[in-house]
Amino acid sequence: MSEFEAYRGLFVAESRENHETIVKSLLVLEQGVDETAIDEIFRAVHTLKGASASMGFDEPERLCHSMEDVLSLIRAGTLEVSQPVMDLLLACTDAIEEMVDGIETGGAGHHGNTGQLVDLLRKWVDLGSGERAAGAGESFSPDPSEAEPAEFELPALDDRPRYRVRVRVSEESAMSDVRAMLALSNLDALGTVIATTPSRQAVDEGRFEGLLELEIASDAGDEALRIAASGTEIAEVVVVRIERHAPGTDPAVPAPPVTGREDDDRRSRDREKEKGREIKNIRVDIHQLDHIMNLVEDLVINRGRLKQIGEQHQIKEMDEAISVVERSVSELQNLMMLIRMIPLNQIFNRFPRVVRDVAKHDGKEVEFLIEGGETELDRSVMDGLSDPLLHLIRNAINHGVEQPEVRERAGKSRVGQLRLSAHRDRDNVVIELADDGAGIDIARVRRKAVERGLYTFEAAALLSDDEVTAILFQPGFSTAETITDISGRGVGLDVVKSSIEALKGSVKVISVPGKGTRFELMLPPTMAIIQVMIVRINTRRIAIPINSVIEVASLAADALHRIGASEAILLRDEVLPIYRLDEMFGPPASGGIIMVVQYLGRKCGVPLDLVEGQQEVVVKPLNRLIGSSRGVSGVTILGDGDVVPVVDVNTMV
Amino acid sequence: MGRILIVDDTLFMRTLLKNILFSGGHTIVGEAADGEEGIAKYQELKPDLVTMDVVMPKMNGIESLKGIRQFDPAAKVVMCTAVGQEQMVKLAIKTGARGYIVKPFQAPKVLEEVKNVLAS
Repeated sequence: MSEFEAYRGLFVAESRENHETIVKSLLVLEQGVDETAIDEIFRAVHTLKGASASMGFDEPERLCHSMEDVLSLIRAGTLEVSQPVMDLLLACTDAIEEMVDGIETGGAGHHGNTGQLVDLLRKWVDLGSGERAAGAGESFSPDPSEAEPAEFELPALDDRPRYRVRVRVSEESAMSDVRAMLALSNLDALGTVIATTPSRQAVDEGRFEGLLELEIASDAGDEALRIAASGTEIAEVVVVRIERHAPGTDPAVPAPPVTGREDDDRRSRDREKEKGREIKNIRVDIHQLDHIMNLVEDLVINRGRLKQIGEQHQIKEMDEAISVVERSVSELQNLMMLIRMIPLNQIFNRFPRVVRDVAKHDGKEVEFLIEGGETELDRSVMDGLSDPLLHLIRNAINHGVEQPEVRERAGKSRVGQLRLSAHRDRDNVVIELADDGAGIDIARVRRKAVERGLYTFEAAALLSDDEVTAILFQPGFSTAETITDISGRGVGLDVVKSSIEALKGSVKVISVPGKGTRFELMLPPTMAIIQVMIVRINTRRIAIPINSVIEVASLAADALHRIGASEAILLRDEVLPIYRLDEMFGPPASGGIIMVVQYLGRKCGVPLDLVEGQQEVVVKPLNRLIGSSRGVSGVTILGDGDVVPVVDVNTMV
Repeated sequence: MGRILIVDDTLFMRTLLKNILFSGGHTIVGEAADGEEGIAKYQELKPDLVTMDVVMPKMNGIESLKGIRQFDPAAKVVMCTAVGQEQMVKLAIKTGARGYIVKPFQAPKVLEEVKNVLAS
């Protein structure tokens, strides 16, 4: 096993892909027999089996082997694709996933249910095979038209020398019949095989005990015959000439075949050509990638530092050197960003299975569509996205899509539709999850909000529909009548919201009664390195993400208007609320500048003292020890070593 | 020592084989991920030997073997197989495969078979 340790990562990665393929194709198969889907499953299961065997993981190998048996019956049409079979196969894929998980963490792929699953699979094989005796586990059956050429029409007057050949296949050979067949085939090339014991057909059918005897008419000579019959796992070859014809006609033994025919010159040329054909893709351990990313972040910080030192000293040569370093670091950083991008399919592909299970559990019929899975996101964003999306999907089926009868009564098709799509929108990635269910019941949400004590009856009555919808995301709110074992568990949309916001993203929900609900997640493609504006308030420096900055304007003191308890300014016919960061940083000294920031179409103005400039920074998340830090998404270290908070604009507007 | 083309649809198996063959002093001149690519690469690279997986997408190993033998009847193709696929391998041998190796691969056996086939 240890010699394969180096391949563990590769094994895990590829097995995951195969697992996904199996699940995806099984779901296709469930919709009706589909040749391509069966082939896909077969191939993936087969590959998994082979790889597991190579790594010495017997349990996944055993399970895959039994799965193949069942699948081959389905392919042959002797076993029907029924719900129980599908459930069993899916249960097997779950077990495989868990095995791979275990292997990833250094285990050997043990799983408590392997034996039971294998037994269950075997029952189906027994049921399906009936009179079909052989063939289970075989992915292809030989084409009869490929049968060997007729060899028995031996001319009686063959005057070539005859030999008796005895070939003993080594006992340790895993497929002794195949070895025998290979020896036979090699001998065929040198002459005419007259008779074999056991017969060719017996060998072909696997009835072979390790010893093959035959007679051959050949001009090749005994040495050549001996070489042809020997080979890997051949324990013994004896060639005896049968003295039947007049001796002395023994032909010359052909010169042993030469393998390296090309001259060295050509070889070296070939080798040069090979260089252009090296591997194009490699797999990298994610921890190594993270480490590189950290180093790049350090470089970015120190680049800023170097730049500042350079500005202080004004040495031409140093400035030049710094600008070269700067360019390289920028490029490195961009590359690193690209490398870390992963297509959303990595997580999307797991969802069809979830949809199926949840819909089945709820007695609903749901068609699930995925679009734009090729859209890429940074790994750090992707990591945090899976759980919230999973929750939204369960939520959409539990609460969005209606029961088939209810849908029919409403004049809709029995099958609900759930569409998960993703696309790039300028610098952001937008993920939408839309169902065509009943939509959010505003009145019910309002009622529940009062029941839960979140609002007084009067206050709730005054809320607009949008505001009512927003209540869904408040902690402690859940309208589910019964908490299901799949969704529910008291975890509400508030958790989804906070997870998405932790990724610097936002959640929006749009609902049309009777038509459906759409959740829209807006996410930054990456969150580690961003462009910010460095500004000063009361001599303190603050970083504001540039993608939320709209403009900077000068602020005349008399432009400020008081509207009730809040302030606003009139900027080119637009009334902008003012958001003061005084609480965090103290009041600005002059406040002569206002920065207009925007989040989800809502804008506000932030009074400042000074705008220092634009910079690319590395945002480091705040340590949990600091506790709640609403309003600040992280800190960054500037070139001069100053630690600057990065404000979170979505908490301001 | 030979110039070898590896045809297998999984990176895992290719990597494994490559390392084994490399350790035996062979040169890996190319890799192909399916049967069609295998034929194309064979014509392009004219390797001394091909290791050919049996079960592959697009075009399986037997079909690919046929294609290669059509181009070069003397091609030396070694099938990569697993216990349970005896029928397939026999078919491959009838089609002209010169040897086979059984998964899970054991380096000494793989190298022995490759050496024997190269020498044949």
